[in-house]
Amino acid sequence: MINKLKQLVIYLFLLVWLIITGYPLVFLVQNSFKVRMEFFRNPVWSLPESFTLQNYIDVMESGFYIYFINSIIVCFISVAIIIIVSALASYAISRIDFKYNKIVYILFLAGMMIPIHSTLIPIYKITLSMGMYDRLSALIGPYVAFSLPISVFILTGFINDIPYELEEAAIIDGASRFRIFRDIILPLVKPAIATVSIYNLTLLWNQFAYALVLTSSPSKRILTLGLFEFQGQHGINIPLTLTALFLSVLPLIILYVFLQEHIIKGMTAGALKG
Amino acid sequence: MNKKELMNNKFFIAALFLLPAVLFSLVYLIIPIPLSAYYSFFKWDGIGAMEFLGLKNWSKLLSDPIFWSSMANNFKLVAISLVVQIPIALFLAVLLTRKIKGADFFKTIYFVPMLLSSVAVAFLWRYMYDPTFGLINRVLNLVGLEQLTQSWLGNPDIAFYSVAAPIQWRFIPLYMIIFMAGISNIPQQLYEAAEIDGASNLQTFFFVTLPMLRSTVVNASVLIIVGSLKYFAMIFALTGGGPNHASELMATYLYSKSFTEMNMGYGSTISVALFLVALIVSVVFLNLSKKDVRN
Amino acid sequence: MNLILEGREKMKRIPIYTLIILIILTLTPLTTVMAQENITIELWDILTQSEALRPAIKDAIKRFEADNSNVNIKHIPTSNDNYKTKLRTAMSANNAPDIFMTWGSTGLEKYVDQNKVYSIEGVDWTKHFPTTALSIGKFNEQQYGIPVQGVTPAILWYRTDMFEKYGLEAPETYKDLLKVVKTLTDNDIIPFTLANKNKWTGSEYYMYFVDRIGGPEALQKAISREGAFNDEPFIEAGRKIQELVKMGAFPDGVNGLDENAGQSRMLLYTDKAAMYLIGSWSYGIMKQETPKILDKLEMINFPAIEDGKGDPSNLIGAPAQNFYSVSQNSEYKDVSVKFLKYLADKEMGRAVIESGNMPVVKGVAKEIEDPYLKEIYSMGQKASHIQLWYDQTLPLELAQVHLNTTQALFGMEMTPEEAANQMEAAAKEYYGE
Repeated sequence: MINKLKQLVIYLFLLVWLIITGYPLVFLVQNSFKVRMEFFRNPVWSLPESFTLQNYIDVMESGFYIYFINSIIVCFISVAIIIIVSALASYAISRIDFKYNKIVYILFLAGMMIPIHSTLIPIYKITLSMGMYDRLSALIGPYVAFSLPISVFILTGFINDIPYELEEAAIIDGASRFRIFRDIILPLVKPAIATVSIYNLTLLWNQFAYALVLTSSPSKRILTLGLFEFQGQHGINIPLTLTALFLSVLPLIILYVFLQEHIIKGMTAGALKG
Repeated sequence: MNKKELMNNKFFIAALFLLPAVLFSLVYLIIPIPLSAYYSFFKWDGIGAMEFLGLKNWSKLLSDPIFWSSMANNFKLVAISLVVQIPIALFLAVLLTRKIKGADFFKTIYFVPMLLSSVAVAFLWRYMYDPTFGLINRVLNLVGLEQLTQSWLGNPDIAFYSVAAPIQWRFIPLYMIIFMAGISNIPQQLYEAAEIDGASNLQTFFFVTLPMLRSTVVNASVLIIVGSLKYFAMIFALTGGGPNHASELMATYLYSKSFTEMNMGYGSTISVALFLVALIVSVVFLNLSKKDVRN
Repeated sequence: MNLILEGREKMKRIPIYTLIILIILTLTPLTTVMAQENITIELWDILTQSEALRPAIKDAIKRFEADNSNVNIKHIPTSNDNYKTKLRTAMSANNAPDIFMTWGSTGLEKYVDQNKVYSIEGVDWTKHFPTTALSIGKFNEQQYGIPVQGVTPAILWYRTDMFEKYGLEAPETYKDLLKVVKTLTDNDIIPFTLANKNKWTGSEYYMYFVDRIGGPEALQKAISREGAFNDEPFIEAGRKIQELVKMGAFPDGVNGLDENAGQSRMLLYTDKAAMYLIGSWSYGIMKQETPKILDKLEMINFPAIEDGKGDPSNLIGAPAQNFYSVSQNSEYKDVSVKFLKYLADKEMGRAVIESGNMPVVKGVAKEIEDPYLKEIYSMGQKASHIQLWYDQTLPLELAQVHLNTTQALFGMEMTPEEAANQMEAAAKEYYGE
């Protein structure tokens, strides 16, 4: 009996949280079917009087999916680079007892504290002088650099926790550092890599400060910038904007479900055998 | 040194491993902070000539009530975020790693707040908080709690807390996932041993799960602390730091000084101060958590 | 024989000559065509998808490109809030686009002072624009930008149906206004809808009060430092605002409502508020959001203050808006100026009218058919003075202090004296005395 009660309470809590997290999505969808005028006339929470798909058509026609694809390209490439670069650096900091080891670690730590807006103008000038202005590739540098400190922090901590014995055998056998890194350490840090990937992916996905100043042409625009398209100086087409927001989230949800099944589960299964 | 010696030289190898990270950091990360420190000694609008001010910006900062109140807000945010996000995320993570029907479905929907951009979240919550039409006040009215209705974003006393709420809402799923990854890492044998010992669910949680998650929780805490000290997006979108600086954070203050008022010099001063505050807090926190381990 | 030979020689030369002439004739156009390489110029402004004015610019671009086939204009709009950051960053690195938009006045002046803007004084713009409009883009006797929108004053909309229901007349004086406010609040109607998170919306009330009480001289003297920002008109304006706040004339939580998200208009549309003081661009917006509401709305100028120095016909607003300029680092200055001329012709004026906005180009005003636009236009004509918004008249730092202190007034967080004194202290610091 007590078990059943516990179950009920658990489900109740999960349900409440579901409503809290899920309702905004419902709000998005329900208002995406409204015409601009209707949003203000009816209370914001009511169901649409007439279901119109015009907003969806308008969003698609505005070149929206170009922005979406740009975001995907930039974010995924950046995260891939971040994983490789930070794993290499973390291994060195954690396992190689070289002269400036501690200082390098603290410097990376300090890198976490830098507020993004103070880097805008210097990075803009650097990008200009490298001739990379208005190219999507210009975003990758800042994105990677900005995410490195935290990624290094997480990975270093994780590698520190890995028992040294696992590598001892390989070192005695004369394996190179790189072999150890690739064949022993990497497989073991999969959970940390999963963490780093998810964390950085979600943060970078929502970034727009760099894109705002480093890109210009609509063809180079990323999603977060593109969403501002529907906002005017004094007015805003709210149902249209909400439609855009919904369409930008939908593929991500689908992607996330897919990733969950195949990748995340794989990464987090049996990493550390006790 | 011949090749073999080079290959064995720790410094050289370390340098190779660190090279890509250092390259990226050098170009995009290492330059801006000293540069900001440099700008902080000048009066500069970002486009024209720079006027040397010595330490004037810094003395102004130290006596600037808005800066201090915004820093207080940052610390409030740190406290709120730690107290709210970690327990809830832990709780959800524990629940969802059990064999519950529909766990996958829950997991997917729970992650949606993280997938929406801050702009989107601000959008939604603005209409939630509308004093006349917003969902929150409407629901309160419906259940007869009219006295509790507020102007959530207009009342300077509660505006900050009103914005802190969507921030929690948005980041809990992230840590939930991180904790879930950590939990699934815990060897099954430990749980089996606990079961044999007759431990209750609560005991299992406190004596098996939590200790094993220690480093994950510490990591998450550092992320939350640093993130809260640097935070910008949702405050800027929902209140712009207002009303009258009630919800101002160091990062929003720095933005308005640098880009709205074009006072780059003072804005740079704020960003260096932010950097130092975050650095000190993190170092202190890490040292404290390390001491625990030794016990 | 020789004659015939000579003749034949001459005959043979003719084709050669014609050939040579033909070649020259064909090569010349070819070379001129080749000399006109394809160029692309970049234009930055804020006319995103939801801006009413956008079709007018797009049309001007189309017409220009049709007449100048070798030029391609890349139009890059950025939403208003982000535009300023983007432009400033580009300016600081001398990477500004060929043509860019500003709101004129102090915003543009800052760039002019840093030599980032190309002077377009070479063209006689007075043929196309009234001098008051041009003055907002003129510095040191040189023209640096031309406007595309005309007078945009802050006008007071009121709900004719609600006024009729409660037996009210449009308020002509402040005393009338107080009666109107009382009647409306007695009937649970919010007298003025207002969203003041953005700060400039509430500032409109402040600016009108100062102007009605002290006339335009009050501000002019404060700026020239003959007077001060804590002179009586400024303090009295604060008192009037707080008097209205205490009467409940504004919505609850007014400082948390966002004008850009339409939270003020929502109250008007749903019959919860009866009046709306806002710039005339609101006409275009309301037409798009809820056209039927216009049947129930009429506009008047801000009420007069008895024994105030200001002329009741005065307006607060911009004599002209959205200035387009050419940047100093542009490689195609002449082509850019050529394009600007297409923003100055009558077709542009007509396109602006069609978009529901006030044209600024000379000679098209008579073509305005829309009764609301006509009304706004005549208000502009009748005004003996149009005061430009403070946040464009004052230097940036002072503008921010003004906006912040005024917002505090609405939230009852400062007394009128404190607000005015803070403003004066900032002015002293900025101007040096």
